[in-house]
Amino acid sequence: MSAITEAPRGNCALGGANAVLSAIDKVVPIYHAGPGCCMQTTAGEAGQAGGRSPFYVSGVSTPCSNMLEHEVVFGGADRLRETIEGTIEIIEAEAYFVLEGCTSGIIADDVKGIAKEFTDRKLPVYPVECPGFLGESCRGYEIAFKALLDNIVEPAEREADLVNLFGIMPYHDPFWEGNFEEMTRILERLGLRVNTFFTRRQGLADVRGSSAAALNIILSPWLLKDASEQYRKGFGVPSLRWPGVPIGATDTSAFLRAVAKELGLEEKAERLIAAEEDYVYGYLETAIGALTWKRFAVVADSSTAIGVTRFLANDYSFTPIATIVTDPVFRSEDKERITRQLTELEHAKPPAVVFETDGWKIARELESHPEITLLVGSTNDREYAMEKDIQCCVIAYPITDRLVFNRTYAGYRGSLTLVEDLYDNL
Amino acid sequence: MGEYSGIREWRPYSYHDLGGRSLGLAEGFRKRCLKVSDRSFSQGLQCQQINSMSVLMSMEDSVFVVHSPQGCVGCASFANDMYRVGQAHRGLPVIRNARIIVTNLDEKDIVYGGEKKLREALLLANERYKPKLIFLFASCASGIIGDDIDAVAQSTGAEIEPIVVPIHCEGFKSKVCASGFDAAFISLSKHVLKGAKKPREGDLVNLFAPTSISHKDQVEIERMLTALGLRANYLPFYSSLDKIRRIPAAGGSTAICKVFADEFMKQLERDYGIPFSHTVMPIGVRNTDKWYRGVAALFGKEAEAERIIEAEHRRVLPLIEDIHRRLEGKRVFICGGTGRSFAAAALVDDFGMKLVGLETPTYDEDAQIDIEYLNGIHGDFAVDIANMQPFEQVNLVKKLKLDVFIGVPTWTARLGIPTTHVLDSKRPTMGYDGILYLGNKIADQIENPGFNEKLAAHARLPYKASWYGKDPFKFIKTVETMGAAASAAGAGEAGKCPR
Repeated sequence: MSAITEAPRGNCALGGANAVLSAIDKVVPIYHAGPGCCMQTTAGEAGQAGGRSPFYVSGVSTPCSNMLEHEVVFGGADRLRETIEGTIEIIEAEAYFVLEGCTSGIIADDVKGIAKEFTDRKLPVYPVECPGFLGESCRGYEIAFKALLDNIVEPAEREADLVNLFGIMPYHDPFWEGNFEEMTRILERLGLRVNTFFTRRQGLADVRGSSAAALNIILSPWLLKDASEQYRKGFGVPSLRWPGVPIGATDTSAFLRAVAKELGLEEKAERLIAAEEDYVYGYLETAIGALTWKRFAVVADSSTAIGVTRFLANDYSFTPIATIVTDPVFRSEDKERITRQLTELEHAKPPAVVFETDGWKIARELESHPEITLLVGSTNDREYAMEKDIQCCVIAYPITDRLVFNRTYAGYRGSLTLVEDLYDNL
Repeated sequence: MGEYSGIREWRPYSYHDLGGRSLGLAEGFRKRCLKVSDRSFSQGLQCQQINSMSVLMSMEDSVFVVHSPQGCVGCASFANDMYRVGQAHRGLPVIRNARIIVTNLDEKDIVYGGEKKLREALLLANERYKPKLIFLFASCASGIIGDDIDAVAQSTGAEIEPIVVPIHCEGFKSKVCASGFDAAFISLSKHVLKGAKKPREGDLVNLFAPTSISHKDQVEIERMLTALGLRANYLPFYSSLDKIRRIPAAGGSTAICKVFADEFMKQLERDYGIPFSHTVMPIGVRNTDKWYRGVAALFGKEAEAERIIEAEHRRVLPLIEDIHRRLEGKRVFICGGTGRSFAAAALVDDFGMKLVGLETPTYDEDAQIDIEYLNGIHGDFAVDIANMQPFEQVNLVKKLKLDVFIGVPTWTARLGIPTTHVLDSKRPTMGYDGILYLGNKIADQIENPGFNEKLAAHARLPYKASWYGKDPFKFIKTVETMGAAASAAGAGEAGKCPR
């Protein structure tokens, strides 16, 4: 059940699925959808994630059947066939995914059957059932992973030093590339090879061979439950769920120990942790007192909310007041896992934890905490901070007033960037 | 003629899928020989809902209820960003977000209907903000499942104070995004103005401006109108219910963009006797002169206009000479919306550049006037009637050997071609002041193309090498339809149509 929402912090299932697939090198989405869906979804995801466009096809360069009244009434099967044929003729790709929009979903065009006509001709065309009304971006993320697992991933020999790093949503997490890069850097120092599917021009070969991994590392408190099951059952790959992208020395070291334990790399991990923590504190001790005491609130998706709240409370000794989780977490066990992460802090008193997506309700919740002096949130939340004349740091989706390439707040090095960005000299 | 439907492709002699050379197309159009075509392959379009929403999103005292799944407010983020930046440029101390509430249609609503949710959303909008207006936007999904937004707007609207304005902007109804502007104006007329007459304010001019007009442009245009002794009712960007209600009081109407409010201004003339000027977009000297004369004529101020134009020319033309020297003879390809592309084409003439290609979404009577004018200056040039379609654009551009591309640079920049743009909704473009900013921008960007050149070595355009060897228009196919233009096409002067 989707609720009426003011200022939503997500796009639709189609948008989420497209964000995932268009982030893989040489993969081309083909929309079987209305005439605005390409723009709406690209603007809704990449456009609100630090203002860039996906590198290969996106927005108005995405092949699309642009379903008009004629297709609504008479069906769009022929239109789709032509669109796929044209795409294959002119666009270079290792795989084409046909994404259903609301229009084709409602009139029930046989996208699967049409895609099969092409796979029967040995052309890599795969159907994805993701009409917008199925849910929002996170649902699309899950659907895209299922499409990859169903159509691309193949059985392979186990490789003991290979891990899959999942749970960071391309574009929907505005810092996805930087986050992947920092976490990859750390895992590589542990002697591992890392599949992300999305960074460093990884592509379908990496997706295909992901079944060889010794471990899936899922950096999210709730996403990819089904996909991890499918990896386990289908390919024997176990998963380690870590509740969000770790920020700062404490959580990143704990994360490394958990990974090391799974893979028997404990000793190596301890040496790495010592070196990385030394690096971080080497900087932190040069800016002692540079940021004054803050009572902070965080408004962000669960992964970011956990990372930021725990870092600022546990490692930086700021005072947590309220954390508002904005992604559509629906299972109660996931909500409990998230709440535990946000409330089981070292010294600090736990913040109020609220699950809310509606912009108006978020503002009302913040108003009930007048002691807040720092608001960490999205571009949407700047208005509240301006009204109350408190500091605002925009580090969560949606972000439309910053340009983001490879900046990260993740891991060891990212935590230093977060402190840099929190410094305001006012 | 019946009431305008708001669907641009149903206007007589309007074409949206064409490709060729300008001389041939102009002749074909003149003789009514152009056939209605369609693309058998195309890339994504901009839907009319995007336009309907963006045009109203900066209205004060309004809440926007979107009856759709969550994805259909994706582009509202652009509109909201423009709104925020616009407030910053206007010096407002607290920058607020547009109030957007989406009904979030889901699977269950698709099966059982979403009218109940829509009613709740309208009540919520009222309860939270007590606005004067609630705009209610339809979507493909709400349209296909048959939710009656008019009925909900009427019944719920009767219970609450704000005026509820339902807008029929379902994406599937039109492939021409400018239809969305019309849908918004039709609803404003029907639900807000309602034919009520106002005492005439003789010096008031309705100045219709789309979202893509920067604050600097507004200031410049208002400066020009003030010089004529006119006051502008600037609409609907940064507008309000009060300003909308003043529309019928104006002594004349004009628009900054050529495909904006043109049908609405015709209606204002019919319903309220307000004359209007529909000329060009005031970009470049020639176009600014033309636009200005058009407005002045509405108010009998032709002589004043000529004096001001002369003074502006004395101020601006010497400064353009230097830009002219830097740009003369440069081969240019222009891609833009209907208003912008033709305005830019006239602009490059101010600078002595050579037009080799033009991409614009619509060919119609208005476009014919511009194309014939450009044919007179530049001779035969390539024309692509397309709403973006970057696959055609890169193919064409690569064949044409350009010095500069004017338009959205995302794709041609990756070919290593110098790029620039005349659409910058956050900085100056219009009027006599705008031309200097634009001219310097274009010249500077052509003279220093290092970024694009280096980028091209690493860029990843998705097209196969074989595509660049093919006819860019190979997917444009003649179709048999019952459209107005199609029936007209058959009625060409018999035997005179070129093969």
